[in-house]
Amino acid sequence: MSGWKDRAAGLLREPLVHFLAAGALVFVVLSGRPPDAGERRIVVDEAVVTGIVNRYVQAFRRPPTPAELDGLISDHVRTEVYYREALRLGLDQDDEVVRKRMRNKMLAIAGAEAEAAQPSDADLQALLDKDPARYALPPRYTLEQRYIGADNAANRARAGADVAALNAGRTAGLAQEPLPLPGRFVDAPAFDLATQFGDDFAAALAKAPVGQWFGPVSSGFGLHVIRVEQRAQPPQPRLAEIRQRLENDWRAAAVRKAEDAHLKELLEGYDVVIERPE
Amino acid sequence: MRRKVMLAAVLLGTTALIGGCDQIKRAVGGGEVAVTESEFPEKVLWGDTHLHTANSVDAFGFGVRLGPEEALRFARGEEITSTTGVKAKLSRPLDFLVITDHAEGLGATKALYDAPRMLITDPTMRRWYDMMHEGPEGSQRAMAEILDARGRNDLPAAMMGQADAAERTKSVWNSSIDTVEDYNEPGKFTAFFGFEYTLMQGGNNLHRNIIFRDGPDKVRTVVPIDPTYKATPDEIWNYMEAYEKSTGGRVLAIPHNSNLSNGLMFELTQPGGGPMTAEYAKRRARLEPVVEITQIKGDSEAHPFLSPNDEFAGFGVAGWEISNLLGNQPKTQNMFAGEYVREALKRGLLLEAQMGVNPYKFGLIGSTDSHTALSTADEDQFFGKHSGNEPNPARVMQGQNLGTRQGRFGWHYLASGYAAVWAKANTRAAIFDAMQRREVYASTGPRMTVRFFGGWDFKADDLKGDWVRAGYQRGVPMGGELKPGAKGAPSFIVSALKDPIGANLDRVQVVKGWVDKNGKAQEKVFDVVWSDAAKRKPVGGKLPAVGDTVDVATASYKNTIGAATLNTVWTDPEFDPSVRAFYYLRVLEIPTPSWPAYDAVRFKLKLPPEVRVKQQERAYTSPIWYSPTKA
Repeated sequence: MSGWKDRAAGLLREPLVHFLAAGALVFVVLSGRPPDAGERRIVVDEAVVTGIVNRYVQAFRRPPTPAELDGLISDHVRTEVYYREALRLGLDQDDEVVRKRMRNKMLAIAGAEAEAAQPSDADLQALLDKDPARYALPPRYTLEQRYIGADNAANRARAGADVAALNAGRTAGLAQEPLPLPGRFVDAPAFDLATQFGDDFAAALAKAPVGQWFGPVSSGFGLHVIRVEQRAQPPQPRLAEIRQRLENDWRAAAVRKAEDAHLKELLEGYDVVIERPE
Repeated sequence: MRRKVMLAAVLLGTTALIGGCDQIKRAVGGGEVAVTESEFPEKVLWGDTHLHTANSVDAFGFGVRLGPEEALRFARGEEITSTTGVKAKLSRPLDFLVITDHAEGLGATKALYDAPRMLITDPTMRRWYDMMHEGPEGSQRAMAEILDARGRNDLPAAMMGQADAAERTKSVWNSSIDTVEDYNEPGKFTAFFGFEYTLMQGGNNLHRNIIFRDGPDKVRTVVPIDPTYKATPDEIWNYMEAYEKSTGGRVLAIPHNSNLSNGLMFELTQPGGGPMTAEYAKRRARLEPVVEITQIKGDSEAHPFLSPNDEFAGFGVAGWEISNLLGNQPKTQNMFAGEYVREALKRGLLLEAQMGVNPYKFGLIGSTDSHTALSTADEDQFFGKHSGNEPNPARVMQGQNLGTRQGRFGWHYLASGYAAVWAKANTRAAIFDAMQRREVYASTGPRMTVRFFGGWDFKADDLKGDWVRAGYQRGVPMGGELKPGAKGAPSFIVSALKDPIGANLDRVQVVKGWVDKNGKAQEKVFDVVWSDAAKRKPVGGKLPAVGDTVDVATASYKNTIGAATLNTVWTDPEFDPSVRAFYYLRVLEIPTPSWPAYDAVRFKLKLPPEVRVKQQERAYTSPIWYSPTKA
């Protein structure tokens, strides 16, 4: 009993079986009948004739005359004979075009299901739970910033003095360099601050004390002193709020995964030996 | 309905999959998101209004296999594997993207590639088909032949099959609409609907990008249209007006690569000759409020032939100034005036003086025109014009001649540019409206923040207060028109801030154009604020160069020269209230390495001396116009 199962399982891993099954699937969808290169019978049934007529109509915008249809059918038979004989002789083997076409068909089959599939809420929730950091909303800041100027020793010293003065409530005589960015931001998301000041500045905000002047803090422009008035971390978004984004990610990943899994499964049946020239 | 389903449907010869998927999509739906617009634009938004994916007939032929979905993911900051297998990620996400696949033959090359070979009866098409399947090189050769045939108006009839093409266009368009809508996230990232209208006369580039303000409900009622062989934009304007009339929506067109039009983009006459009519000028100004001034295929700001006194004219003209787009007609010097934007702005004033309407009153943006589905405009991360020149050791010196013998090489491509938009929110409506009022500027890549306000009473002291608010309250922003009637000369708030992760700034210039008393168009470039001012004093009216910290051997530079920010209030010292004029800003960075220099380090190349290894990247704002009061 188990011997049969083992043999069946082995057969299912057999690449040739996969190949034939996939090939059969393609052929079934294309023409409605299974291929058999070895078969010596060519049947041009109604479905095939309808297909021939449809393609003709598509190309010429009218149905073929009876004589033309006879010609098309005999051409189809000719193609079929050549095709089968070519397969028998292995002429598909060294043809780059045939190889690429086959590869594309396999890829389309592998990815199509995932493309069309619709994720369940549970799928999306799992995605959200797996990488909460990716979907977390950025912290939001209400802050003031004063631009001191280029990053050098003198300005660093000045920034330190300014911080002390500002925290002591003294603003008189404190110079500010002009900077064409707002001096005060209200409830601004961290990524907005990062795109305007650079990533280092946004990272420094995370560590800055709340409610007092602090600095110097570096940006892409030089040195600043800052006062974070409020740092708010919005709650983790719920599925319903970011459904479209989760769906986009799920689908992109599903297609990639399906293609990779399919390839991996096929590869398992192969020994791949690579011999590079020295 | 998505890319792979389409592919599968084509391959497997069934449309059942497509219908099924559509219904599911609609059932899921998405809620309306409310995004409020601020009182005035607070934060500049960066985007690309010109990007091609595998749905573009030439992009696919050149090898790209990434579609709209990958393009959108990349623009939003995700890591993507390029067609040639290189990992790609932007240093920072973009705020918006317009995928503008060519309407003409939308999906046609892909359809040819995907078609069962036995259905291809035309011997030429069959040959192209086989070449494309050979691999990337064959594909590029096939594409060069296809483009060449297109230029000669000699494509196989089967490829131009109207009914099939219409069906294919519709199906690719609808599929792309779904994808774009999925990735549009108001407030965070805007994905627009659009397409490219590839108008050409011979090989002369009259291309326009068409951008819709609206959502899928309205946009789905139309499909992109193909240009005919007429060299006028009338038909696309008719299409745009019909769309606006039937849907109540809005749409605009952005011309690009005037530098490859062989003098036809900004003519002084009606296209085809004869005096320009006021009706034509009015339509053009209304439907084409913005021009793409810089992109991979060169920069169209100013040419040394037209602006001999401008030492910074001629940025990125090498290679592009020898002929038209397809290289089938050499360029002569008398053509430049119809090709370069500064001259077009001057021509606009001349035409306005003649007939009361200015057809060339447009704002300026940059974009990539990348055909790789990857919007890259950074020198150290440039994925090339098309998939054949994604990063590889040969691309700097490879011929890029589109099947001709003209001397264009890989290094002539610029890693340029992006569109900067002063919008009141990150939504389709707000960004579109900012383009419509021309409150936009162009960058050759770096994300500099540039403000420009014109008014009659701005003083240096304004910079100490809330000058942005003052700018809006007492003046007009870039793209605006100075209100006439005030006394004295106009003054301008000028402000530039370096890219937070980029190079320092060298200087800010005001470029002024006007029509003098004799009816002749004039121009002048003023240096209005510059770095290291204590050391750099103008000599004989010329400001000394900022210096150069580029080390080509390591493709690096230092911010030890230049300034992080340059701000001033400038008053026109030569103002004549009786003549019409425009003013725009040009902001120059200090010299930085160009993408071939980065390639040379990455691939250990020895570059020939003619290759551009460093440059001063720049931003161009939309102009502010002045018209004298009508007597």
